[in-house]
Amino acid sequence: MKSLAAITFIGFFCVIWTNIPFPFPVPEGFPSPIYKFQNNPRTREGFELGRKLFYDGLLSKDGNFPCSSCHQQFAAFATYEHRLSHGFNDQFSFRNAPGLFNLAWKKELDWDGGINHIEVQPLAPLLDPHEMAEDLNHVISKMKKDKTYPVLFNRVFGSPGISSQRILKALAQFTASLVSADSRYDKMKRGEVHFNQYELKGYEIFQQKCSRCHQEPLFTDFSYRNTGLEVDSTLKDFGRMRITGRKEDSIKFQVPSLRNVFLTYPYAHDGRFVTISEVLEHYNSGVVQGPTLDSGLRKGISISSDDRFYLIYFLETLTDSSFIKNPLYADPAMGVRNEAPAHLH
Amino acid sequence: MQEKKLTALIKGTLFIIWKMPSPMLQRLKGFSYSLILLFVLGSFQKKEMDSTLSIQFRAYVHGVPLELNKKYQNPFGETFEITRFRFYAGKLAPVYTNANFKSKIPSHYHLIDFSDSATTRIELPVTAGIIYNGIQFQMGIDSADQNRGAQSGALDPAKGMFWTWNSGYINIKMEGNSPFSTQPAHIFEYHIGGYRNNYNTVWQIKLYSTNDQSFMISKEKKILIEIGMDLDYLFDGPTPIHIREIPSCMKPGELARKISENFIGTFTGLTISPNP
Repeated sequence: MKSLAAITFIGFFCVIWTNIPFPFPVPEGFPSPIYKFQNNPRTREGFELGRKLFYDGLLSKDGNFPCSSCHQQFAAFATYEHRLSHGFNDQFSFRNAPGLFNLAWKKELDWDGGINHIEVQPLAPLLDPHEMAEDLNHVISKMKKDKTYPVLFNRVFGSPGISSQRILKALAQFTASLVSADSRYDKMKRGEVHFNQYELKGYEIFQQKCSRCHQEPLFTDFSYRNTGLEVDSTLKDFGRMRITGRKEDSIKFQVPSLRNVFLTYPYAHDGRFVTISEVLEHYNSGVVQGPTLDSGLRKGISISSDDRFYLIYFLETLTDSSFIKNPLYADPAMGVRNEAPAHLH
Repeated sequence: MQEKKLTALIKGTLFIIWKMPSPMLQRLKGFSYSLILLFVLGSFQKKEMDSTLSIQFRAYVHGVPLELNKKYQNPFGETFEITRFRFYAGKLAPVYTNANFKSKIPSHYHLIDFSDSATTRIELPVTAGIIYNGIQFQMGIDSADQNRGAQSGALDPAKGMFWTWNSGYINIKMEGNSPFSTQPAHIFEYHIGGYRNNYNTVWQIKLYSTNDQSFMISKEKKILIEIGMDLDYLFDGPTPIHIREIPSCMKPGELARKISENFIGTFTGLTISPNP
């Protein structure tokens, strides 16, 4: 009995010693995050385990589709150059993969806001037969047979065992830590650089014409809006209505952040726009009228070709190159990639 | 049993601290005093729940005990068999005859799964010597508990009761087949859930014994309470559900809410008997 108690004590101190607390830095000017790692204290070990899981094909049915297959660091964790992403058995995803950054500030995730908590988000792609096509119990049994996972989970959570809860909490330690706040725009805000005259002019136009929905500093107000996109007849995607069942929410999608917008093309929930110019032209001349159309878009947004020229200068300042090159977020086995690898599917 | 182990563990720990030779460890003695205090306080709290009540969920179809994969007929003459039947019951507690008496209601959930008879029986810690006249519980997972992120135990998403693309727990899952179903392979599937807006499928349920009996639990004399469920009412409820017309319900919405209303009508009452 004595030895049992002693082991408990030693074990307790070991947990304190090995799991180094890993404070979450909230960037200057950002609001307080929604996800504060409550019930999931952020540690370096937990973050590293989440990162390993994010890059591990073991989480998918055939081993080929880790989270990182659709969320690529060089594309700000969107899928590079793909309207829809590729998943298990040559299938397409239902929607365009969004970039993953500043997720700790999101109350609801996914284009339609159907996911209510960052920790349960990975379940959607993991169990979707078109994406990773896996089963939770099967993933757990594969991990239990692995050489390293049982040791890592034991170290992170202070006791042996692999469960869906532990997998999801570890993944959230990584995904919620993906903070992008070091773009040229951020440096300008911090007084480290000055915008040139084109960027300044673009910023001015942005504040007049775009910032009603793409509010600084996160460049979204997280609301759901119908931006006048025609419903694709093959996808039949009615957005937020699928979640709430309310007619008023038909064809509404969550306003995406414009941070890293140069890296996350194609655009819109179904990736129908390849370039930023196409998106701007949509607002200028392509808005489709409808009962749920956003009230501010009834007449579209008039964007002249001059406006477009300057806006693009400004939008380019939202690219955070230190984020996409941060080795902390890279594949632990490969390191940082600077461009799309040749074998990319 | 677990409690005994814990007590032994604490005693062992205290013993070690006591025998520590160095005077430097005086401070630890203070720490252990507080441990003793905590333990004493803890044991006072424990006293409140000093007996158990056994609760058994039992489902019937047309008066016959439910067995999975067996043919039945619903009140509309449709033959069917059930292959899977699970639902969430949480915050289970006895109801006191004295309305002024208040006690903490447990916050956790049970997944009642008729393919695993062990899950249909719950041992509930209760206070002995008090008169009860009913059982209360919550059918389904309420919105506070729907928004807690990754959970474990009965709420582990690996239990197959969680919608991933529209986060939320499936409160009732009934699957089976019927020649009357128009679906592939004649299956019917009712996955009932939803907690948002007007589509809430979570219900608070209070059940009393069929003959208004009240009961007292002592430490020695244990009681078994059977919660009877008559599945006929699932079909023949406020909203009639014909398998021919409604072979599936897979998402939150008006239909799910209506089926959940039928479902709570299946709880017909309590049967109280001494627990041998």
